[in-house]
Amino acid sequence: MFRPDKPLSIVHDITALQYALEKAERRPIVVVQEPRRADGSISDIPVVTNLTGSRTVVARALGINDHQTAAPIYAQRTGNCIAPEKISGESAPVQEIVLEGDNIDLTKLPALTQHVTDPGPYLTAAHATTYDPDTKTDNTAIQRCWIKSPTRMSYFPYPASHNARNLRKFWERGEDCPVVFWIGHHPAVLMGTQAKLTYPESHWGACGGLIGEPLRVTPSRTFGDSIMVPADAEIVIEGYAPKDVLEADGPFGEYTGYSGPQVAAPVVDVTCITMRKNALYHDYGSGLTDMLVPDNMAMEGKVFGLCKQVAPSVVNVHVPAQGRRFHGYIQVENPGPGEVRDALMAALSYRRLKLAIAVNQDIDIFDDSEMFFAMATRVQWSRDSFTVDGLSGSLLDPSTPVGSKTLSKMAIDASMPLPGRAGAPPPIPPRSKVPDEAMQRAAEILSGLDPNDWPTL
Amino acid sequence: MSNNKEIVRLGAPWEKTGNTSWTQCPACEEWFHVGPGLLDRPEVHMHCPACHKEFPQTDAKRLVTSG
Ligand SMILES: [Zn+2]
Repeated sequence: MFRPDKPLSIVHDITALQYALEKAERRPIVVVQEPRRADGSISDIPVVTNLTGSRTVVARALGINDHQTAAPIYAQRTGNCIAPEKISGESAPVQEIVLEGDNIDLTKLPALTQHVTDPGPYLTAAHATTYDPDTKTDNTAIQRCWIKSPTRMSYFPYPASHNARNLRKFWERGEDCPVVFWIGHHPAVLMGTQAKLTYPESHWGACGGLIGEPLRVTPSRTFGDSIMVPADAEIVIEGYAPKDVLEADGPFGEYTGYSGPQVAAPVVDVTCITMRKNALYHDYGSGLTDMLVPDNMAMEGKVFGLCKQVAPSVVNVHVPAQGRRFHGYIQVENPGPGEVRDALMAALSYRRLKLAIAVNQDIDIFDDSEMFFAMATRVQWSRDSFTVDGLSGSLLDPSTPVGSKTLSKMAIDASMPLPGRAGAPPPIPPRSKVPDEAMQRAAEILSGLDPNDWPTL
Repeated sequence: MSNNKEIVRLGAPWEKTGNTSWTQCPACEEWFHVGPGLLDRPEVHMHCPACHKEFPQTDAKRLVTSG
């Protein structure tokens, strides 16, 4: 954990620190005790960011020692839902402080302005919980929120999202849409909200499955049991999205690493803010590994489950942050005829992936140099790659053609050819290798030396 | 009706084209990018991220879209 020992500006400087850490390939949790607002005043709510920048930290939060083994565990746990436990508002830490009426002031939150093109301060780790008015089932997803005044912010539910569907249902009934935003929780709970579910399906059960016990929830002050909030969150903002009111929102730095365009977005008129005593404000560095890692690890669980159904030889999946959310690496062990392509087709059917690459177990799917080795030496492109057009995908992908609603995707079979006979070596040359004992002796020679003066490239 | 809108025509399917539309603030002349969902709703005012002027599309100094 890194705690800067002086005030840091919430306008650009905290995010700049995250970029510098990422460049240095260091991923500590960052706690800014004295966030300095644009007017020079110091917020009494500390900022926690880079909470999930490290795969190792996120895996540990799930009780997993090795992040490389997380995909099958995530798939299994989010499939074993544990129902939430309701507790009263009086015993809910998140309602220790209640701000209503004239005491509501969103601008008191130390919301960061992260990037040059962002128009102002955004909540980046606000989980929007809405419900389907037909079934009363709740849904939760991270939604960016631009703080526009003490009592109003815009937010942007992606048009195809479950929260956008709930919003449209309320508006079609002629009603304002109830919505609650909650900020800050245990990383395992944050990971549970990333579980990819059907509609309508609550995320509370998946959160419970991940933490191994019921998630404690409490009725929101404004909406009662209709919208429950995690009782152990740090901060909650409750309000209504007034019917048919849209305002400009953005540009905003997205997970793609690009600034997303200004859009027409709903707004929320705030009815209540609640928080813990000594609340922490959680920020995700948008487009940094801080934001990519938890969602990508959740994707790994989902893609693993999809592939495993059609290709039992799939043993692991990696969605690397350097591919944003668009690349998936699939590892297979002793696949049968056709199984590698079956797995690749299943992976491409997952909305966010637009490139899937399959390799064998001798390739480390967490090491891009190994992935390039497999593609360089095990692929004949016309034989081993294929493209599929017209699949669903993220339209935030900056390369999508104008007006397109679907994407063009690609799969690469960089696995080894199958052996000619069972038990025989695969029909490719063996990889060059020195004996393990010699590698051990080399490590001993290098240990204790300072390599900082030696060139890295 | 303002004639501030410029449409960049697309080329052949094999030619690489971009997908981003840009508008220019009538007050401070900052360029910023706008999505198709906003362009389809002329009743929603654009908001300059630099000087915070709000203005209808027809008041944009320039509006360059791909189409
Ligand atoms: Zn301007």
